[in-house]
Amino acid sequence: MSAAMNRALPLLAAPVAFFAAFFAVPMIVVVSSSLMAGGVPSLGNYARVLFDQYHWDVLAATFRIAGLTTVACALLGYPLAYYLVRVVKSPALRRTCVILLVLPLFTSNIVRSFGWMVLLGRNGLVNDALVGVGILDRPMRFLGTELGIVIGLVYILLPFIVLAVGNALAAVDPALEDASSDLGATPFDTFRTVTFPLCLPGLMSGIVMVFTLAVSAYVTPALLSGGKITVFPMLIFQQYSTVFDVNYGGALSMTLLVMTLVLVGLAGWIGNAGASATGRKAQ
Amino acid sequence: MSDALLSIRAIDKHFGTYHALRDVSLDVAHGEFVALLGPSGCGKTTLLRCIAGFLSPDSGTIRIGGEDVTRLPPHRRPLNTVFQHYALFPHLSILDNVAYGPRRHGVARGEALERAREALELVGLDSAAGRYPRELSGGQQQRVALARAFVNRPKLLLLDEPLSALDLKLRKRMQIELKHLQEKLGIAFVFVTHDQEEAMSMANRIVVMNRGVIEQVGDGRAIYTRPASRFVADFIGEANLLPGTAEGNAGVRLAVGSALLPHLGADTRQRYTAVLRPEHVELLNQPEAPGLITDQGFVEDVIDTGGQTVVTVRVGEHLLASRRLGMAGEGLKPGAPVFVGFRPGHVHIVAEPASHRSGP
Repeated sequence: MSAAMNRALPLLAAPVAFFAAFFAVPMIVVVSSSLMAGGVPSLGNYARVLFDQYHWDVLAATFRIAGLTTVACALLGYPLAYYLVRVVKSPALRRTCVILLVLPLFTSNIVRSFGWMVLLGRNGLVNDALVGVGILDRPMRFLGTELGIVIGLVYILLPFIVLAVGNALAAVDPALEDASSDLGATPFDTFRTVTFPLCLPGLMSGIVMVFTLAVSAYVTPALLSGGKITVFPMLIFQQYSTVFDVNYGGALSMTLLVMTLVLVGLAGWIGNAGASATGRKAQ
Repeated sequence: MSDALLSIRAIDKHFGTYHALRDVSLDVAHGEFVALLGPSGCGKTTLLRCIAGFLSPDSGTIRIGGEDVTRLPPHRRPLNTVFQHYALFPHLSILDNVAYGPRRHGVARGEALERAREALELVGLDSAAGRYPRELSGGQQQRVALARAFVNRPKLLLLDEPLSALDLKLRKRMQIELKHLQEKLGIAFVFVTHDQEEAMSMANRIVVMNRGVIEQVGDGRAIYTRPASRFVADFIGEANLLPGTAEGNAGVRLAVGSALLPHLGADTRQRYTAVLRPEHVELLNQPEAPGLITDQGFVEDVIDTGGQTVVTVRVGEHLLASRRLGMAGEGLKPGAPVFVGFRPGHVHIVAEPASHRSGP
């Protein structure tokens, strides 16, 4: 037992050291610097953040954009995942689709966001098409609106939710759907009472992933905001890179982190309650 | 049999180039217990899935209670299925699992739960109603799957190797319980199994399948004593299969004992196989015995399992197994000369058609 422990300890040392050096220590540095003002311990930075209405407005915009992005990703990603896992029968075609889905993740965020700047511009492809087809009378403003940022974020984050839901769907035993159908459930009832509840945990983890990534996104909002919209990560970036106020920047970072954790925790709790409610309602 | 509950006519099913079912026809009467028996890949599960509606046959018709259901989806067919690995819904309690069927048929929640409780009582699991499938043992999950399948009171219940995941002792007990339950409910059972003992001990009628074809339909006794083909003889129980040759059109001559056995319609162009069960082969210490066909051989092998002894005797180029009750192997050493004998009435002759059955 102890011999095995002795052999296991060196193996553990590397990941523990890595975690300490790159996750724990930076976190401690940020937290401790946020609690310092003018070289003495103080909660002044947090007071500056929390008693300024501007910060609350930016926070609200950040969460609004992240929330809309998450909802859009879920609504687009779920059917896409279902299609890939349940409708596409050929493994080769499915693999091709997954590669196409993941491929954009290999290119830089900046390049892809610039792409959307071109597409969403006043005379961009999207406006040309919408006006050309007659849906719009005149070009619509996307750049510098929350909608534009949401479009850019949805494009970048969609693969995460598709992969999470796809894995969950693939893990649902087809025999369960057979059993449901055998017991008299229509295909829609089977989806509502068996398939959907069983892949809800996968959907929830995808939602949490997309939401946290959308809340902390910097590049896409910065490029697509056109300077007209500010999200919280942009405030933090300003403090660290332009103002060099690491104490105030640390307090902003911690505020965003705590608020996000609270929201994600709340969503998880609501999701769990909802899952058991749909489970019961099915009966 | 137009009054049959289930009537299958000339069903064919291909998977790509694989011919899974060939011209299968079968009738099942109300309240009957039918076993579909065969080795894996024989088409028994494919046939079951066609009846349930999960597969659609290429041609042929399936009628239930006179209604053509061949093209109906599973949820509109008046039957229920017990799945091989139970397929209980993991996110629903035991009670909700069983109430699922009635709920889908528009029964109010309270009433559905009441019916589910009754069904669980019938399988002795009413105390587990509030628990979840993962908290139950395999045998208990099996009973829940059963309760969930019969709670809708279908006329026909399909069971896909429902006992195969249970250990031997539990399986034996469930066989008896299942049989009693079937008699009590009066529901017709179509039961898929690869275990001939299971089929023999439970079913009124056994359908032996091989390579997508029904080889024989009959009760256990008929299938054992009068197998319709070499395959059935070999698959059901143990059998000595001896080659025979037709002489004229009245008889078949056996390779062992060189006896001529009468066989109506014998055809010199056909190959014949004589089926002789090991329990009908006697070991003698003299070359002749009244009423027996005899031959001389040498002991090849003796396997004594306490309750019974199997002695394998080499007669010419053929091996003949003889099963005796008790410790009958004493004094028989491999290589020792011995006489074997059997009654002509115990020899069953089957013709071997030169069709797909003789292929690999």
